[in-house]
Amino acid sequence: MIRVDDLVKTFRVHRRPAGLGAALRSIFHRKYEIVRAVDGVSFRIERGERVGFLGPNGAGKTTTLKVLSGLLHPTSGAAEVDGFEPRRREPAFLKGITLVMGQKNQLLWDLPAAETYALNRALFDVPRDEYRETLAELSALLDLENLSTKPTRQLSLGERMKCELAAALLHRPKTLFLDEPTIGLDVSMQVAIREFIRSYNQRYEATVLLTSHYMQDVTALCPRIIVIDKGHLIYDGDLRALVRKVHPNKLVSFTMTGAIGPAELERLGDVVSSEGGRIVLRVPQDRLRDLVSHALANLPVVDLSVEDPPVEDIMRELFRPGSAPEAASRAEAEAS
Amino acid sequence: MAGQLRATLRATPTLLRVGVAETLAYRVEFVIWMLTTTLPLIMLGLWTSVAAQKPFANFGQREFVAYYVGALIVRNLTGSWVVWQLGDEIRRGMLSFRLLRPVHPFITYAATHISSVPMRGLVALPFAVILLFSTAGDLLITDPVLIGVLVVALLGAWLLTFFMLVMIGSVGLFVDKASAVFEVYLGIFAVLSGYLIPLALLPEWAQSIARWAPFRYMLAFPVELAIGFYHDRTDVLRDLGLQWLWVTAVIGAALAVWRAGIRRYEAFGS
Amino acid sequence: MTSLTRYGRLLGVQLRASLATSMQYRVDFVIEGAMSIWWLGWNLVPLLILYDQRDDVAGWNFPSALLVIAWFTVLRGLMEGAINPSLIGVVEKIRTGEFDYLLLKPADAQFLVSTTRFEPWNLVDIAGGIGLAVAAFVMLGSAPAPGDVLLGLILLFAAAMVLYSLWILIVSASFWVVRLDNLAYLFSAVFDAARWPIQVFRGVWRILFTLVIPLALMTTYPAMAMLGRLEARTALAALGGALVFAAISRFLWRAAIKSYTSASS
Repeated sequence: MIRVDDLVKTFRVHRRPAGLGAALRSIFHRKYEIVRAVDGVSFRIERGERVGFLGPNGAGKTTTLKVLSGLLHPTSGAAEVDGFEPRRREPAFLKGITLVMGQKNQLLWDLPAAETYALNRALFDVPRDEYRETLAELSALLDLENLSTKPTRQLSLGERMKCELAAALLHRPKTLFLDEPTIGLDVSMQVAIREFIRSYNQRYEATVLLTSHYMQDVTALCPRIIVIDKGHLIYDGDLRALVRKVHPNKLVSFTMTGAIGPAELERLGDVVSSEGGRIVLRVPQDRLRDLVSHALANLPVVDLSVEDPPVEDIMRELFRPGSAPEAASRAEAEAS
Repeated sequence: MAGQLRATLRATPTLLRVGVAETLAYRVEFVIWMLTTTLPLIMLGLWTSVAAQKPFANFGQREFVAYYVGALIVRNLTGSWVVWQLGDEIRRGMLSFRLLRPVHPFITYAATHISSVPMRGLVALPFAVILLFSTAGDLLITDPVLIGVLVVALLGAWLLTFFMLVMIGSVGLFVDKASAVFEVYLGIFAVLSGYLIPLALLPEWAQSIARWAPFRYMLAFPVELAIGFYHDRTDVLRDLGLQWLWVTAVIGAALAVWRAGIRRYEAFGS
Repeated sequence: MTSLTRYGRLLGVQLRASLATSMQYRVDFVIEGAMSIWWLGWNLVPLLILYDQRDDVAGWNFPSALLVIAWFTVLRGLMEGAINPSLIGVVEKIRTGEFDYLLLKPADAQFLVSTTRFEPWNLVDIAGGIGLAVAAFVMLGSAPAPGDVLLGLILLFAAAMVLYSLWILIVSASFWVVRLDNLAYLFSAVFDAARWPIQVFRGVWRILFTLVIPLALMTTYPAMAMLGRLEARTALAALGGALVFAAISRFLWRAAIKSYTSASS
């Protein structure tokens, strides 16, 4: 179980404007700024949950993960993982968690991944049979084949990521912190890794906390999302519910055999695109039934689909300063 | 060609300014790097103790102080870390960015390193100069003509050192282990340039090699000139001529090695 | 499993990984070995020039000065083979943020940081140094007493401990000042002074190299011990000083980790 109460983390950052004068002055006197990376965040995550962390760059997601894994200690507030205080980095705590950072390797560069596995086995005191069993399972789930015997520097980015995951999970941690694990990978690899995470979560009942820039990671994997912006938690709950709240419109697509006149088109509603025989409309939830029945009855429709708008749109709307949803969710967060 | 020249001239002030800013960004590291050239001080400690009672081969304590402090100043002013910089950029594939600019990489590298000279002068000079004047002031030359020649000699030393290092760094375009070549070079340089020991203390056969090799003109020549070891004007001019002969030769060689290396680099990618 | 066995096993794993990595670059191995020999010869140049004209410098004749250089070479081999490689890598890891992974492992961070990388070709240095020491005693015409040899080795161990602690101090400092890898070069440069018997330096130099940076301890004392010239009292003081220094560096390391903030993102 992960528990975060009123977590605050601040950093001192050196700011220097451009220009030679400023450069010279910085020898003698440096200006520091206090950055509130995490500013009063609270949440609880139960065992076995898969939770996605969303937010723009610099929102505080990575900082929160680092506090939870013990790499940073909080400026104020409390963090607790499975009864441990992360900042103390007790061996029992460390053996129960893992942190995977997307762009940073823990694999030894010049050697095959197998050497890193051996090293981690020694470090985490994994008994030999358990090690063999876990490695076999991970190899199957990740489709490692003979990747682990090639020097790491010879692997492609996707292959490297798979081996990184294997190395990170050899000790069968019960809590996974994943910071942008799919960044830079191609689509098929992203899908493979998502599948793997889901399998691991289900098989070992592991808690997964994931941050990602890719909406698909979150929508595919995480029933629950926590949205952080500028260090504040602005939403915590179901993804679908958020979508509906922020953007109570649906995207309806018709494919038609015949053309319809522009007047007719306008009467249908807010047109997003109209190409060939395919029309996409943005339709408010309450008008949905009427529109669909009207279209099916009166128009030469051969195909119809109703979708939520892409989550990216939701997020953009949510984070755009001054937008109604942004103001509303901020107010809601402050009220709670 | 003219276009490249114009681009170079226009870019130079910015390149210099950025070079200074880069240097200033890492204050502590910079000071440390300056102090790294400490070998002359250690040697100084050794030889002044040795020569305390009795001069060692015509070098009394004052002469040793003047020589080594002079060597320290010249080394600080002429040294540069371009070998590491080149090696780093080659290894990480960042050389490609430099090649895309309309200015020859030699110019951009030179700009970075020249722009650090004032800084290094500022930091190194005061303490070195004080030491020099307090113990061996009367050894320094005062003839304005010779001082003018000294300035030219220092410029020559800088160019010679810089392009020698660029050439060594360019070897990294051919082989993986340019650092081994650099180490061999450093060993030879330390002895034949007079950095480790004043050339006058070396055995005769070594001194004749040193007289013709380029290393002497990177360090010993300006130092010996500055502390009054030259008694004959014609000797000065002869050595100055030799120095600039070496400058042109080394620049030419560096360009050739670079060009061949880049062709290979372009063929194999980063 | 006791802590000691566990860490012994971990050291074994790390050593094996380093060896495997070095074997990957076999050509480098040979080249670096050749470089070691090159610098060994180069080190002797000032010594040869000095003793060409003088028989005795501050009470040290040529063979005994050679012994100091021998210890210097051995110590430098230890430093560049066992101490530097790991610790230089750490400064880089701190910069890229990969250092975080070390903190996530359930083992002491200082241990992990110190054993990441060894470079085996420096065995050439150590062998060369021992060779020079043997040559020095041949020139002296007599073998050292076993007790003296033992004392010399103990002091060598103390010297290695001081070197290592100095490095830990440097790395601890790099948590605050990010780009400190040049300190390695500074350190190596200053360490150069250790190839001379400390008595050769006078006045301010001797104070600098004895107290401020304990180079005297590292090379001169072991040589003096082997030549039977070191008082037991001085040896014990040196050993004690080394232990205190190690304790201080450990304390500062832990303080550094406490205040560590990783590079953002």
